[in-house]
Amino acid sequence: MDKKLNIMLLLLALLAVISASACIGEEKSGAAKSTGSEKAGPEQALQELVVGISTDVNNWNIELFPDGDGRFVWSQVYETLVRLDPDLQLKPGLATSWETPDKGKTWVFHLREGVAFHDGTPFNADAVVFSYKENSYSRQAMLRAIDHVEALNASTVKFVLKKPMSLPFYLTHIAWPVMSPTCVDKEGKFIKPIGTGSFKFEKQVKGQEIELVRNEEYWGNKSELTKVTFKVIPEVSTRVMALETGEVDMILKVPEYDVIRLEKEQGINVYKKHTTFTDFLQFNCKKSPFDDKKVRQSIAYAVDTDQIVKTVLNGIGTPAKGRPYSPIMLYSNPGLKVYSPDPEKARALLAEAGWKDTDGDGVLDKNGKPLQVKLLVGKGEWADRHNQISQVLQAELKKVGIVLEIQTLEGGAISSLENSGDFDIILRSGYYVWGPYPKHFFIHTSMCPNSHYSNESYDKLEDEADSTIDPEKQKELYYALQDFVIEEVPAFYLVHEEKVIAASSSVRGYTISAEDPWLNLEGVYLDNKSE
Amino acid sequence: MSLNFFFHSTNSIYFLQVSLQSAFLPADKNGNEKMWKYIVKRLLLIFVVLFGVTLVTFSAMHFAPGDPAELIALARYGSDLSSEQIEAVRAMEKLESSVCIQYMKWMDQLLHLDFGKSLISGDDILTEILIRLPATIKLAFSSLCISLLIALPAGILGALHKNTFLGQACVFGSLLGVSIPNFWLGVLFIWLFSLNLGFFPSFGYGGIEHLALPALTLGTSMAAVTTRLTRASMLEALNKEYIITARAKGLDERTVILKHALKNALLPVVTFSGMQLGYLLGGAVVVETVFSWPGIGKLLVDSIFARDFSMVQGCVIFIAVLFSLSNLAVDILYAFLDPRIRYEKHN
Repeated sequence: MDKKLNIMLLLLALLAVISASACIGEEKSGAAKSTGSEKAGPEQALQELVVGISTDVNNWNIELFPDGDGRFVWSQVYETLVRLDPDLQLKPGLATSWETPDKGKTWVFHLREGVAFHDGTPFNADAVVFSYKENSYSRQAMLRAIDHVEALNASTVKFVLKKPMSLPFYLTHIAWPVMSPTCVDKEGKFIKPIGTGSFKFEKQVKGQEIELVRNEEYWGNKSELTKVTFKVIPEVSTRVMALETGEVDMILKVPEYDVIRLEKEQGINVYKKHTTFTDFLQFNCKKSPFDDKKVRQSIAYAVDTDQIVKTVLNGIGTPAKGRPYSPIMLYSNPGLKVYSPDPEKARALLAEAGWKDTDGDGVLDKNGKPLQVKLLVGKGEWADRHNQISQVLQAELKKVGIVLEIQTLEGGAISSLENSGDFDIILRSGYYVWGPYPKHFFIHTSMCPNSHYSNESYDKLEDEADSTIDPEKQKELYYALQDFVIEEVPAFYLVHEEKVIAASSSVRGYTISAEDPWLNLEGVYLDNKSE
Repeated sequence: MSLNFFFHSTNSIYFLQVSLQSAFLPADKNGNEKMWKYIVKRLLLIFVVLFGVTLVTFSAMHFAPGDPAELIALARYGSDLSSEQIEAVRAMEKLESSVCIQYMKWMDQLLHLDFGKSLISGDDILTEILIRLPATIKLAFSSLCISLLIALPAGILGALHKNTFLGQACVFGSLLGVSIPNFWLGVLFIWLFSLNLGFFPSFGYGGIEHLALPALTLGTSMAAVTTRLTRASMLEALNKEYIITARAKGLDERTVILKHALKNALLPVVTFSGMQLGYLLGGAVVVETVFSWPGIGKLLVDSIFARDFSMVQGCVIFIAVLFSLSNLAVDILYAFLDPRIRYEKHN
């Protein structure tokens, strides 16, 4: 018996030692980063901002796509040739001016002089050529139309395109910024992020935090903040509470249901602004029942987008009523004839398309088949929002006799169903959106891999709009496209999103930008007296 | 899907082990020598189990919906893909050869302890896992300790005072514990201890103050089940004849309960706690997410969402190894504790 007890004690001791050693091992890495929790007191004078984000930066390399909240951090370290102000107006970034001698086929950018990367490497035409090299993410993705990029001299770069396009709008996108050629070693292996932004990369603890320090040699207005720490807090309620306890100074992506409460709370400011994103229902127009325009239109009449904003989004965002572009976007037509909910009209359209309730069970049918459609909802960034919206949709469509079956799936499963065409509707947000530029219409062309709509006149109109650079002509074409979408309904647009950021009242000078994902820290400073 | 699959796979490992275990029970005269043989056999069995795990993991990842090359390309380049890009990824990641050949190549790597590189970040998978390991170990052991500290006294009290208010309170408390979901309890603890009382930080990783809330959340929810188990086996032990004998011998109540009843009642509790430890070492996904605790579970979930197949495979294999090892430890401990197992054949 004693022997057994001894063995047990020994094992317990062993466990204790293992866990203790694990703890000790951690102390070293833990000690250096104690800024977040001790922010009251003299440290505040150091101007160190702590921001809570939901996902870590999984990539810093121009060859890959920075997903999730990574781009909020990228926007502090890296810069683009052309910038946007908080209201999405184009302004000079690393390029001071640009011109196109041949209506958008080639673009010449004059670069800002006297700018250096964080490691002292001079910013020049070579860096731009490096950043838009063949295997860069941008040229693998949306900028495939670039034929080549050449340096005319140290401060002038020429982009030669395969077809005309409004390149400056595209070049505002933070996912394809200018990086220093010294980011990679001789073999082309990525070493560390080196940009020209107002903050330098200091260190990253995987899954926990990213530390940036002020770029003392910044070419523009030097930040008041000496340091910005991004803390990764995936759970949204934890993020909100971390702001309330003061462990972080600012949080991004505040959930709609917390806004009213936070607005009332002392010491917390809530910032809201319309972004370029709009939630929409994308129809599979190649398959019954949505191959029939009347059925798509009936959905537009059946869904009350006002209700969505009021009931599930607590009044945050604007009902889109079918309008494809958020009002803040370029060429968004304020006079567009949008849909207003009209269940009678919806039922009439469905009847015209042959869908009638013949067996009296409350569900419409045609040739003995009930009108049952499948809606795909993703599990990604927009999951919370989309789940709630889809439930409202289900209830609204039931009223006109349509059974909506909601399938919540992981991204991979959605893309495979999308490929096979085995779906009726997908709920989406923000595809092909950057800056104010209305590229989004690309998704309904037959050239787009995500498209399930094919209409030659639409394709032609979209292609023409994208390759025209004359603003007047462009406006006309995009207005025509908006009318087209309202009439044809390849997708029904639900809600123009509003982004919500909350910060402690000690954070001063913050201007929320309509650009998303983008965090504008220009002019921000900390005032600890207010606490 | 992958997450479900993971739980099923670890479960099946356990059952496989249990069923195989009966064939290899330690037997004997010469206790020590037999014990070592037993341990070695069990270790060898782990390899068989792990082989099964690799097979299941690999096929689950490869037969999941979606073309792997396309999914990787999606994760890397976003939604706007050309078919050339997908083909380029297929060539780059060597996905064009047949599934069997890919599996063999992967096994070859694994046997050289090379878990491969992440498809997204290009980081070495084993290094990534080992970075997360201390956080996982810390959380697993501390929550197990908390759980036992609550469950043992509560279970014993519940059994000894089964018909009183105190006993009923223990039962009710554990019922409550089983019913409360982890994520809710975690958020509640943050609200109470961080926001209102200001005792602990609400999230993050670092010293003991960061560990307190996640360990408490996991510990209390685990304690619920352990309490019920302790109480049940304690009640059973107290009804045994040897307890009457002990009492008849004139031993004092304290000795009867602690030495005779508890010792026997603890056997199932040890087994169960060992299994719990196995699960914990596999990462407590929910609690790690709520408290942004950088453990293995969170790594696994993040990689599932990022469609990082190689990372998911690496994590599952690693978790399976930990789970098998902790089960082995329990079985050995069990053999030490329970004389019936050691002397079964002899008698």
